[in-house]
Amino acid sequence: MRLAIAEDSGLFRSSLTLLLEASGAQVTSSTASGTELLSAIGPDPPDVVILDIRMPPSFTDEGIGTAAEVRSRYPRVGILVLSTYAETSYASQLLDTVSTGVGYLLKDNVTDVGALMDSLARVASGETVIDPTIVRRLLQQNRTPSRIDALNDRERAVLRHMAEGRSNLGIAKKLFLSARTVETHVTSIFTKLGLDQADTDNNRVRAVLAFLRSAEPADKRAGGEAAD
Amino acid sequence: MRATVFPTPGIPAGRDDADGDPEADQQRSSQLRRRDGQSWPPITAVLIAVGGLCALVQGPLWNQSAALAGVNLTVSLLFVFTGLRLRAEPGQRGVAWALMLAGVLRSVDFVDAWHESPLGVYTLVFGGVDRLFGAWALLRYPNHSLLRHQRVYLVLLTGWMLIGRGLIAVTSTASLDGYPASSWWPALISNMRLADILNYVVNAGEGILGLALLVLLVLRLTRTRGLDRVVITPIIVAGLAAVIAAGASAVAQMVVSIATSPNGAYIAESAVDLAVPLAFLVAVIQRALLLRNIAGLTAQISAGADVGAVRHALRSTLHDPTLDVLDLSASASAPAPDRLVEFIHADGGAPIAVVIADPALARYRGLFDAAVQTSALALKNAQLQAQAAREKLEQVRASQARIIEAGLAERRRLERDLHDGVQQHLLGVAAQLTAAMTGTSDPVAAVAFARAKDGLREVLAGLRDLAHGIHPALLSQGGLAAALEDVAERLPLPVLVTVSGPRPAPAVEATAYYIACEALANAVKHGDANRAVVTVRVSESQLEMEIADDGVGGAPSAGTPSPGAPSTGAPPAGGQGLANIADRVGALNGEVSIDSPAGKGTRVEVRIPCG
Repeated sequence: MRLAIAEDSGLFRSSLTLLLEASGAQVTSSTASGTELLSAIGPDPPDVVILDIRMPPSFTDEGIGTAAEVRSRYPRVGILVLSTYAETSYASQLLDTVSTGVGYLLKDNVTDVGALMDSLARVASGETVIDPTIVRRLLQQNRTPSRIDALNDRERAVLRHMAEGRSNLGIAKKLFLSARTVETHVTSIFTKLGLDQADTDNNRVRAVLAFLRSAEPADKRAGGEAAD
Repeated sequence: MRATVFPTPGIPAGRDDADGDPEADQQRSSQLRRRDGQSWPPITAVLIAVGGLCALVQGPLWNQSAALAGVNLTVSLLFVFTGLRLRAEPGQRGVAWALMLAGVLRSVDFVDAWHESPLGVYTLVFGGVDRLFGAWALLRYPNHSLLRHQRVYLVLLTGWMLIGRGLIAVTSTASLDGYPASSWWPALISNMRLADILNYVVNAGEGILGLALLVLLVLRLTRTRGLDRVVITPIIVAGLAAVIAAGASAVAQMVVSIATSPNGAYIAESAVDLAVPLAFLVAVIQRALLLRNIAGLTAQISAGADVGAVRHALRSTLHDPTLDVLDLSASASAPAPDRLVEFIHADGGAPIAVVIADPALARYRGLFDAAVQTSALALKNAQLQAQAAREKLEQVRASQARIIEAGLAERRRLERDLHDGVQQHLLGVAAQLTAAMTGTSDPVAAVAFARAKDGLREVLAGLRDLAHGIHPALLSQGGLAAALEDVAERLPLPVLVTVSGPRPAPAVEATAYYIACEALANAVKHGDANRAVVTVRVSESQLEMEIADDGVGGAPSAGTPSPGAPSTGAPPAGGQGLANIADRVGALNGEVSIDSPAGKGTRVEVRIPCG
């Protein structure tokens, strides 16, 4: 797999490069900002670009802007944004900016090299990736009353993988189920949560995340969304 | 009493230009001096001439009763002197002349001492004319005209005295009236009996008219208000005494004998008469005395008084309980018609107050102007002081706001340093560790690496929470809505967050954020709430925020300790809770109110002005 990295912290950048190369990936460019990354991508673009969310010049969320730029110039290149922000709103913002083949991972989790390589592969194949830490936190809220209480354990596991961006096939592999069973579960989940069936996997992730983030049941969510 | 009215603001505005202008003040006070202080040489000359005339006219009386002649002379001189002094008062020239004539005629009354014809007839018929002038002055001063009933009375009195006495003269003879029989006498129908009757009738009538004058004078006193009353009280009292004395004297003359000369009664009456010019003199001096009240007024309101204090001081100084001072800085109201109106202007020219007073005060224009000038100074001072206090308060607030801004900037810097420094370094180390781990096949090393990696993950998670707690980057980047959504996500209860309007200043935004965190943490920890609502409305002028929950309520109004709040991302408040927050809001000139009835949930309302 061919990768390009934009990360302003020199130590993390070189360590990440080291790690990725040790895992068999090829790092075609390693730069300190989004602008440098864009000019470093040659006529033969990488499979995935890895972007730090917080880069010069403003050190806020340039990564998301760079992601949009990369997507418009190289539509087939996957985008993985690395971040130290565990807030869901950054992930949502990224999904609103780039619709497919995109991922939002916490930097902490790059130490799980297997998960990192898996995320890169999923992004490269057009899937969506949301960091499991964020999804876990959303699911752990333990709110009362919550519609999630209506789900059984298996459905809850499926919901978690849906939120992390996996396709039905991906979920089936993870849970050792048949794709058909997963499909049944997904339909049941959408019904129980009162969500509309999503037409694409990405829309499905967004719908699930929005549901998990909101304080209100889906049918009363208007007020919550107006705040965004 | 005719009112002098100044209803148009234009005139006082023009006058007011002089206010605070030392040159104009000087001019005005010198005008006052000129009116007050007349040149002494002419006065002295007039007094010497009058004194000579009055001494001469009484001629032989000096031998008969030097005391009576002396008293007469004194009364005459005092009347004339008072009249001369009164000439300076505007509109009182008539009264001045009346007093001077009364003075001169008082001595001329005793011209009959010469026992020369026809001086006896003069004394008999015109001997009371000085009293007519006196009565006229008593009834008129300090007005500019007489009232109708006063005029009627004076015509009646004049007619009765002159006609009555004239009739006595023509019906009696010289000897009958106590003069040498050789004196010329207009004894047209000499009839002793008729003359006697006439004498009693005329005297009785004069007595009744004297009583009527007493009534008129008392009426004047009771019907007069304000400064006029202060001024006329001594005059009326002296007038009453003089009328009573004249009555007593007349009775004494009748009782004793017409033939014998009742000098004692005359002396007593004249001595009482002295009170009248003295009282007028007091009235003349009164203005100067009243002007001295301005010093008291200044003392009362010098230290920057408000409109209420100025109103109170002006009312007592100007003896006008109807006087009003209205604050014009708030609203410009049309002054009442038929009232004396004077505007007080700020140095910039805008009217700050208006004094509305009894039109009778127009007669004391100098006093009124001086009082208004003093009030204007006090009000202007008060305005300046208030402005200074406001500015100082504003400075304190600004400095508090700067401290908050500085604290906020420091938090942001710390968060950035943690994020871009330590966190990235540790992440780099973790990645290196992972890379090293993938490269080793030694199982012991792999376990050690795995442990180190797990430890690092925990440290990184803790560091992320710490950085977020110091200052959530999301607040700066995404604003209140995103940051509060994030807070809501982390709480174990549904929180409906609604944020509308533009983004406020960072300090306002951060303060609102921390308050929401604190209130929501309380709702979870102490309020036992099932749900909460955070509503933020931002406008150009202010941020309004309401945090309501459906918990148990009964929260203290401020200072709820909240250990363990960091789970919401709130700053480590150190248990100071909402008290701490109230301070921050206060520094930003805002306000917090907490409504928490037991069993009915808690509602925190915050208002912070923006920009």
